[in-house]
Amino acid sequence: MNLKDISTSVPRKDHKGKVSGQLPYISDVKVENMVYGVLFRSPIAYGKIKSIQLPDLPEGYEAVGAEHIPGPNYVKIIKEDQPIFANEWVNYIGEPILMLVGENLDVLYRLLDEVKIEFEEHQAIYTLEEAIKQKSAPGVNMANYEFGESLDTITSIELKAHQIIEEEYDTGYQEHVYLEPQGMLAIYKEDEIVVQGSMQCLYYIKNALVNALDCGDDDVRVVQSPTGGGFGGKEEFPSMMACHVAVAAKAVKKSVMLVFDRSEDMVVTTKRHPAKLKYRTAIDREGNILSMCIEIFLDGGANVGLSSVVLQRALLNSAGVYKIPHFHAKGYVLKTNTVPNGAFRGFGAPQSFAGIESHIGHLSKLANNDPLEYKRKYLVKQGDPTITKGNFRDPILMEDMIEVLLKSSNYKKKKQKYHQLNQQNQRYKKGIGTSLFLHGCGFTGSGERDHIKAKVKLAKSKDDQVSLKISNSDMGQGILTTLSKIVAKELDLPLENVLYPYPDTKEVPDSGPTVASRTTMIVGKLLERAAKKLKAQWQTGVEQEVTEDYVHREMIPWNEKTFTGDAYPAYSWGVNIVEVEVDTLTGNIKLEKVFANYEVGKVIDDRVMKGQIDGGLAQGLAYGYLEKMTSKEGKIQQKSITDYGPPTSLDVVSIQSKVFDNPYADGPYGAKGAGELTLIGGAPAVQAAIEDALQIPFQQIPITPEVIIESLYVREGEQG
Amino acid sequence: MAEKIIAYRFDCLDQTLSQLNKENCAIIAGGTDVMVMYKSRRGVPPKIPKPIVFIDHLSELKKVYQNQKDLHIGACCTYSELLGNPLIPIVLKKAIKTIAAPAIRNRGTLGGNVCNASPAGDTLPLLYVYNAKLLLRSVKGDRIVPISDFIQGVRRIQRESNEILVEIILPSVLDDGAHVIFEKVGNRNADAIAKVGFAGYIRLNGDGIEDVRFAFGAVGPTMIRSVAIEKMLLGRTVPLTDSDIAQVVAAFDKIIKPIDDQRSTALYRKTVALNLLRYFLSMKQYQPT
Repeated sequence: MNLKDISTSVPRKDHKGKVSGQLPYISDVKVENMVYGVLFRSPIAYGKIKSIQLPDLPEGYEAVGAEHIPGPNYVKIIKEDQPIFANEWVNYIGEPILMLVGENLDVLYRLLDEVKIEFEEHQAIYTLEEAIKQKSAPGVNMANYEFGESLDTITSIELKAHQIIEEEYDTGYQEHVYLEPQGMLAIYKEDEIVVQGSMQCLYYIKNALVNALDCGDDDVRVVQSPTGGGFGGKEEFPSMMACHVAVAAKAVKKSVMLVFDRSEDMVVTTKRHPAKLKYRTAIDREGNILSMCIEIFLDGGANVGLSSVVLQRALLNSAGVYKIPHFHAKGYVLKTNTVPNGAFRGFGAPQSFAGIESHIGHLSKLANNDPLEYKRKYLVKQGDPTITKGNFRDPILMEDMIEVLLKSSNYKKKKQKYHQLNQQNQRYKKGIGTSLFLHGCGFTGSGERDHIKAKVKLAKSKDDQVSLKISNSDMGQGILTTLSKIVAKELDLPLENVLYPYPDTKEVPDSGPTVASRTTMIVGKLLERAAKKLKAQWQTGVEQEVTEDYVHREMIPWNEKTFTGDAYPAYSWGVNIVEVEVDTLTGNIKLEKVFANYEVGKVIDDRVMKGQIDGGLAQGLAYGYLEKMTSKEGKIQQKSITDYGPPTSLDVVSIQSKVFDNPYADGPYGAKGAGELTLIGGAPAVQAAIEDALQIPFQQIPITPEVIIESLYVREGEQG
Repeated sequence: MAEKIIAYRFDCLDQTLSQLNKENCAIIAGGTDVMVMYKSRRGVPPKIPKPIVFIDHLSELKKVYQNQKDLHIGACCTYSELLGNPLIPIVLKKAIKTIAAPAIRNRGTLGGNVCNASPAGDTLPLLYVYNAKLLLRSVKGDRIVPISDFIQGVRRIQRESNEILVEIILPSVLDDGAHVIFEKVGNRNADAIAKVGFAGYIRLNGDGIEDVRFAFGAVGPTMIRSVAIEKMLLGRTVPLTDSDIAQVVAAFDKIIKPIDDQRSTALYRKTVALNLLRYFLSMKQYQPT
């Protein structure tokens, strides 16, 4: 492939199949001897199962439950607290108890209604507020960390401070709304079970299956199907479904398909953790920050899953992009009897950035300073320590990125103009707001070296085609194209001679999960090195294979116990500016303009990157004002896309973006992570813009029309 | 084990009506409500408990014409067809454009929006302030019913099982010189179900109010309209005084009783409904639309 610059776009490899609608997703698949599975789910939030009474099952219909699991009854993730089929206690509404399998879905749904289970109900914890009150009760605190400067030092600073500012900030649920709901198929064969489905992490699933089936490495195989969006929702959740179908296939000796429809998917799958963030900041007479203490509470839902790791990222990002003198943070994951929360693009960072950007914005008012100017005073620079005594060792381009964006958006002029316009227009108020953010690329600390140990393989055929043998999923983010492109360019092959078949654990080594903005940077780099190696030994017309193993960058070693060291090998950066118009009669918010500058090392494909920018920002902006999910007595209230309200093309405006080059030595062609970064700045920028328009501070996202109307009218009414 | 479904698709309205006279059927025009109402879980077709009659193709139900100053709209005109028709008032087109998305607007019909009788029906606030009349036909003949009598509650309408809604008639709508507005408040700009709908109608003679009407959607089981409150304003001059406005708003405050649900709160719905009313009443001048 002869591209002068790797960033130049090429047609995506999956473009035709997806645009023509020809590509079969898992729910389109039918195999011989296949039956469907449907799950009986707990109707109560917390209690003990006393008895299970099944209806008379017609021939060919069977029930599968905990007693059919050959191995231990838990989904292997981190802790052993998530049953495959709950058989003693149920911990949330929707928790799977058993599965009915058979040929006809209509019959299965009818039988499902006839299953009778008696429970002994116990008092559930429904909200994060309740969980915080009961934090010290057994089982409620599922994980916690604390780090930073000693509290004694901070107390002595606070004693001398001019003022102590305390704020509480709440963030809501976010639902992934991947285009394709979750689906998994277990193909039954005498000597192996093949599990296929929509997924991000093949080896997570494989490990969970080996554990659940208590079988050998060769007895299960995991194959990714075309995946219509993941956003983290297909990181750990599919492991549970894979266990369901594999256990059932083994029990009934047939292939078993489990696919959710949208409403089931919305009600029972993982969400972004709702969070409460508490800030306590000492300031001097001029409004300068003297010290800051942060407490973060994450609603883990009914089991811990990946929540402890999400909390780590939330804490690691709790100071945003700022160098805060005398910083201290602690955080908790608390259990509630609600649907478990899990991985979601950003992984704890969006909550922290929304909170810190809001808090710093409010502090800037006290200092009588423009929020952006105030933020820039504290912006970290190359060589600065991180809040965990690590180091920002690479160049940071944020000042340039801000300057360029200030010019292209005409920020200062607009801000003045809008304040004048708002005096004249009683109904519509315009505002402009900014956000500054970063994203730590890859796994936290030494996770890549100690846990993931990624390996990649390139296999060359006799006709000189080269196949990527890696366990990473294209879920729409474009790695099918970008990773192939890296290899094609390195080997100087036409792109069509580089193949990237849907990965199958029988064929591919474990190159790690497709998460944490690690794929391009880590796996891409390994592929680049593998391609170089293959090029050096290239023999035309001969089958060849090369492998590469992960090499760790020298850093300050990460210590999870003390929470010190370099938390990430590299950081990507961003600046957003958002303009809104608020209808003060209805509280509706109209996005008017969105500007975004990013630095991701080096872009591997401009159009793929633009896809990440537009999609990530739409999702991030919506997190701040549009998407609203609530739980009432343990039940998710929004069961349809319409009621939940993710943005449509009529809600998002065209996004003016620019990406800066800042090549990173340990990424392919200098590339770092990009997938999560683009989401993070959306919500805080939209909040800042709304606050600018209405001149009212908010302490929560999403800032829905309901929230706006309440602060504009109801509070005013109460005072009057 | 496919279930047997009976479905009719006659060439003309008369045949359809005579079948309806023999048998109680589910009528499908665009199907955008019926298919959702009877939807099953994944992988199972919808279960419609009655035989189905398709009417979307019947040309008798797709006419739009002017009769004196009245506008007659065929019940089976799709939203997309109405958007392309020059006789349809611009404000009604504005309301139609807020419905769902193009695919639904290509199937959904105005008659369907009326007969579905959803509290959040997007065209209903306007049809109420237009004093819309509905032409119903059966083998026994025609009858005309005001929309406010026809819609009795959530999904409850006064249609006999042998009748079909043929036309929606908007009396004196053409050149009556009224200023009509419509506002839909949804959670997003497409594919959204209204949290509040509002239509306002005002006709002046000089500065004096000759006729004024308001209708609110999604804040009660059906559209909220009060002729008694409207009468309070007849003969007043614009701009209205603050006390007149306050009086009307206070009167609606008493009769608007929305609910909390997964889409919004009662408090929000009520506050916004009254905000939109107050805003409409506070306008300094009104132009014929």
